[in-house]
Amino acid sequence: MEIYNLIIENKDLLKIFYGILITLICMIIVIKTNKLFKLSSHQGIRYFRNAFLFYGLAFLMRAFIAAVYLYKFGKFYFLTLNILFEFFLVMAGFFLLYSLLWKKLDLGPQKSSLANPSVFIFYIMTFVIILIDQLWQVYYLLFASQIFIFLCASIISFSNFVTGDSRRRFLKFYFIAMILSLTAWILNALAALSLWNQQLMLDVHLINLVIFFLFLIGVVKITQR
Amino acid sequence: MAKKRERLEVIRDILEAVKNTRKIKPTRLLYSSNLSPQMFKDYINELVKKDFIKIEIDKKDKKTFSLTKKGFDFLQEYKIIENFVENFGL
Repeated sequence: MEIYNLIIENKDLLKIFYGILITLICMIIVIKTNKLFKLSSHQGIRYFRNAFLFYGLAFLMRAFIAAVYLYKFGKFYFLTLNILFEFFLVMAGFFLLYSLLWKKLDLGPQKSSLANPSVFIFYIMTFVIILIDQLWQVYYLLFASQIFIFLCASIISFSNFVTGDSRRRFLKFYFIAMILSLTAWILNALAALSLWNQQLMLDVHLINLVIFFLFLIGVVKITQR
Repeated sequence: MAKKRERLEVIRDILEAVKNTRKIKPTRLLYSSNLSPQMFKDYINELVKKDFIKIEIDKKDKKTFSLTKKGFDFLQEYKIIENFVENFGL
């Protein structure tokens, strides 16, 4: 309990470090996967890379939001950063899910991974989610969309784990990461419903750190020679 | 029935065939790639565009394909790419 209290007292400062740390993890993943994509043009790697690029940007916005709180900048900055945070976060979730599904929904090779028919659908859905959340001043659609995305991703990754080659050890960790993500989003929604319960939110942040470290370890281990 | 080859596997097979013979004629490469002529043409155009293979034309106007450094690098990295795609279920 003591440690919880200490963390909660310094939460804004810690949130800045937390945001920057996850952004750095995401950037390492983006650099490593971009190299593989440039060589292979594999669409799954392309959307996986995009997912972490958008997660990196989302958590950078998260760090800025914490700085806005800490240094008491105006409400305009908070609102703008909040919209950007939600945009990058929702888009990242769509990209991650699409990286698992692209073979089944493949529309053929696309020139751009940021401007093509499937991605336009993601943009539209993301804008609707942001618009409604901002109008209602709640995050219900954000939570609902993320719980749905990670429920689908958990099912797909479980199927990949069961049917995949048993020598591919990260398939198991990918499934664990998706279950943890689903858990984190459910806890996040519960925390929001209980007026942003601080201890619950701290658990969410810790789970998120574990998830991003899992991906970092997986990417670094698999891409090393 | 044999499993359909993935795009990456086809590229690897073509590059391996070029690498093993150093210089290979189009007809021989078509046979060893096990593709239809149209698909073979598409893949070759892509590989030339990506600078994985280069076309050389000799004095008798005969075409041959050879591997570039980028193509060689791809073959070196292929295992890593394949491993990555399979481990992440992409």
